[in-house]
Amino acid sequence: MTGLRSASGTGALGWAQDRTAWMFLAPAVLVYCVFLVYPMLSSLWISLFKWDGMSAEMKFIGGENYWRIFLEDEVSRKALWNNLLWTLAALLLPTSFGLALALALDTKLKGVVVFRTIFYGPGVLPLVAVGLIWSWMYNPHFGAVNTILKMMDLRHLTRGWLSSYDTALAATFVTYLWSHVGFPMVLYLAGLQAIPRDLYEAASLDGATALQRFRHVTLPGLKETHVIVLSLAVIHALKVFDLIYTMTYGGPGRETQVLGTWMYFQSFQYYNAGYGAAIAWVITAIILLIAIPYIRHMTKT
Amino acid sequence: MKLRFFTKFDAATVKIWTPIVEAYEKQNPNIKVTMETVAGSGAAIYPDVLRTSMAAGDPPDVFFMWGGEVAGPFIDAGQVMELGALYDKHGWKARMTPWTVDAITRNGKVWGVPYNARGMGFFYRKDIFAKYKLAEPKSYAEFEQICATLKTNKIYCASFGGKFGWHPMRLLDYLTETACGPEVHNQLNRLQASWDIPCAVDAYGRLKKWVDNGWLVPDFLSVTPADARMPVYLGDAAMIIEGDWFEFVVRGDKQPTTNLDFFVPPTGHQPLRYSAFPQQWMVPAKAKNPDASAQFIDFITAPATQKQFPAAFTASATIGIEPDCKEWPITCKWRQIITTSRDIYPPTDQAFTKELMDGFFEVQSGIIAGRITPADGGKMMQARAEAWKASKK
Repeated sequence: MTGLRSASGTGALGWAQDRTAWMFLAPAVLVYCVFLVYPMLSSLWISLFKWDGMSAEMKFIGGENYWRIFLEDEVSRKALWNNLLWTLAALLLPTSFGLALALALDTKLKGVVVFRTIFYGPGVLPLVAVGLIWSWMYNPHFGAVNTILKMMDLRHLTRGWLSSYDTALAATFVTYLWSHVGFPMVLYLAGLQAIPRDLYEAASLDGATALQRFRHVTLPGLKETHVIVLSLAVIHALKVFDLIYTMTYGGPGRETQVLGTWMYFQSFQYYNAGYGAAIAWVITAIILLIAIPYIRHMTKT
Repeated sequence: MKLRFFTKFDAATVKIWTPIVEAYEKQNPNIKVTMETVAGSGAAIYPDVLRTSMAAGDPPDVFFMWGGEVAGPFIDAGQVMELGALYDKHGWKARMTPWTVDAITRNGKVWGVPYNARGMGFFYRKDIFAKYKLAEPKSYAEFEQICATLKTNKIYCASFGGKFGWHPMRLLDYLTETACGPEVHNQLNRLQASWDIPCAVDAYGRLKKWVDNGWLVPDFLSVTPADARMPVYLGDAAMIIEGDWFEFVVRGDKQPTTNLDFFVPPTGHQPLRYSAFPQQWMVPAKAKNPDASAQFIDFITAPATQKQFPAAFTASATIGIEPDCKEWPITCKWRQIITTSRDIYPPTDQAFTKELMDGFFEVQSGIIAGRITPADGGKMMQARAEAWKASKK
């Protein structure tokens, strides 16, 4: 409000301008409050109760649900660990591959648009469909992955990729990589095209090698893009749900549970709505820790 | 008036049910029935969708439900109407196969009306059994011998899809019934006996033996139950545990049924029990038109309606409804067993809540993957049971 007032000045005219601005803002603020702020606060409130999500009776237990997540529930801790691994891999792999693809496709060669479309394509498919398709590809008996390995005389490498406790999470992440590599590629392509070409020409005239041009021109030129790509990679990784749910259902055992699926299981399958809400708030808190600096940075620039 | 009818029907079943709904609407021109379905995932997702509609204060008027602990949370949360008075009014009890009403009774009250009475056993490929001169087993030892013979001939004894846990659970249930006998199996299901007693550990040991001996199609923990049918169709596996619905499913998969038969597996105990469960119709406590809901249930469970539309009621809990035995010989054979034998045990996923059940599946997967020993599995399952009991205090 202070910002609005200072921007619009004082007096009768200023107040009229403020009122007009608020009238334009009001519908969006209302929708935001009803569909986002209220449900969020409501779930925060629910997280302080033991409640099955259906009964009229709710038992207030304070912060016990949060205590349980970190100190009592071994599956929550496993899920948190899996989220951490997933996030580290998401920070490293799709972003690196995306940058490599962007560098390779940042050219005016004929047909390059086709390749850009092919690499970006998986990113627009619904993750549930992607998960189902890859589940069939990983099928130990008639799936494409093992069939190809057998055709290449690599039978010793065939296994139940999603059945094995040792490979299930990594195999699911390969699907995530396949579907998420296109988005950073597009962002990096946009970033690359914003770097002035004369910087490369000057570096070349000074005798810089390709690696030196990449190190001293490309990487600094992509500074803003890195912030966007890495922040979004972390946020997307922490929200992972669809692929785990469709490909492994959290198994084998509980081996691939992540916070998103564990929250869903608790809320909707085990009738522990309070505990599920607490897990949701832990996910939210972690994401906010990353998102707030990102938003501050973006609004400054 | 609108009546929302909520089920897990797939497209083929919706097609079969459409004329029944139309017949009801013709009799009741002031009522328009809307069929709403959540198909494909069994008891894994359907209850979630139902629960969400109830939590939102917008439940359907009549809904499909399994028995036992799948229905339990809805009843305990006060979301389901108690139907005792309607049973008296419509004479429903006399209409139903007796064990089905017993199986859906909770806390001494009836909360639903039986729809189907389902039984499960081992379906087998007759050609494979004939080729290796095998006969339906009369004892558990004979059953193991069949698996050993098949393995020698490079055929897997059975195929399972472990993705949701409940498919291989059927084997573990059978092994528990065999190792512990009816009384102790019941106590285990009611958490009145400890899961680390010798016979329960022995059941886990038998499961491990089936896996270690290569009797089961390997790497099945991530395979869906639907995909587990493939090795049986291809002749790579000889058996699969399925229910009376399997003949319908096989035909839906465009596979021949003439090469299939089933047996209720021997347990070595008396009475010889088999795994069975009812499915039921329920009415929400907050139903907008409870009288119309009851009238609709009365219509669809009535013998006259079911005889008019036999394709929809091949597993009916209503007495006297038999499928066409020429068209559905396997289903018909199941009906004989289900309607005459009261000796059943419930699948564990209807004895335990989903939360406890996932603890059960965790142990089961650990045994199958060889990550925990049977003895540790027993201890772990008992710890899960105790933790669950403590959380409900």
